[in-house]
Amino acid sequence: MNDPVALPDIDPVDRLTILAAALPGAAVGQRRIAAPFEDVWRVIADLEHATPRYEPGVAHVRVIEQRGELLRLLVQDTDGGEEAMDARLRPGWCLMQSASVVVAFAARRLGSETLLAHLEHRRAQTPMPRRSQAHDRRAALAKIDLELRTIEKLAAHYGR
Amino acid sequence: MDPENVSAAQQGDALALDRLIDELAPYVRRLCARIAPTAADDATQEALLAIFRGLPSLRAPEAIMTWVRSVTVRTAIRLARQHDLEAAAEGMPMDRCASSLEGLVDIDDALARLPVSQRVVLVLRTREGLSEQEIATALGIPAGTVKSRLHRARAAFREVWES
Repeated sequence: MNDPVALPDIDPVDRLTILAAALPGAAVGQRRIAAPFEDVWRVIADLEHATPRYEPGVAHVRVIEQRGELLRLLVQDTDGGEEAMDARLRPGWCLMQSASVVVAFAARRLGSETLLAHLEHRRAQTPMPRRSQAHDRRAALAKIDLELRTIEKLAAHYGR
Repeated sequence: MDPENVSAAQQGDALALDRLIDELAPYVRRLCARIAPTAADDATQEALLAIFRGLPSLRAPEAIMTWVRSVTVRTAIRLARQHDLEAAAEGMPMDRCASSLEGLVDIDDALARLPVSQRVVLVLRTREGLSEQEIATALGIPAGTVKSRLHRARAAFREVWES
């Protein structure tokens, strides 16, 4: 009996697109990274050491609690402010949320390379003029692109 | 389905949205695989996108499953018809007729050979266990139309099954 229920789970990159559909104003970028999935994911999963190296606003990350896939983090920004984040982390999927931001990564294996998608979203955004929105969005996408390029370099380093 | 989680997801709580994807995706995928077997992946993704895009406008979180079912069924029908049209335009035999009769191994195979309009009512009635009224709500058509379509679909299914 070919039971359709036995079909595979949703691909993480498709899952990120679905999440973005529910978060109006979320910025999403993706990049085909010339590194194997395992190396790319080692970077993403190393929240404490790798995040400050690709996320310019973050100075320190500390995992203060872990229950299976669910984590609680303390994130210190470069201005000295500290914010708690709840996260869900498993191979190919990382979702982090604080009172003010949502950050997510999703990875898909592409042979010996990896498709990495990255979402950033500011929660409870105050309405802005349309021109400011467009400018803000361009800046967010440029930031995501830069982060993905940095992660690619880190993945090459982690893979050595 | 936890109504508090649905409400949190509607407010933009990403972890609540993540849990909701976990809860809804298997159901959406199962419906799409049965209604649009040749376009199941695309139908699943499109239905989930429509559901999560429309989530903030859902007025009654407790009625989420009825709404999810309706969005999914309509999306799957559209994708199944689109796939059939594309196959016909390319002069390819319909996938539902592509396998040999010897390959007809189970009920889902037989259902896949019916026209979409007949397949959907039979899937919802016999595989999903919905009432005629629930099917009418999901499809946005009168219950009388569901009854007559079910009658024709059962006859067509028997013909495929016994051939």
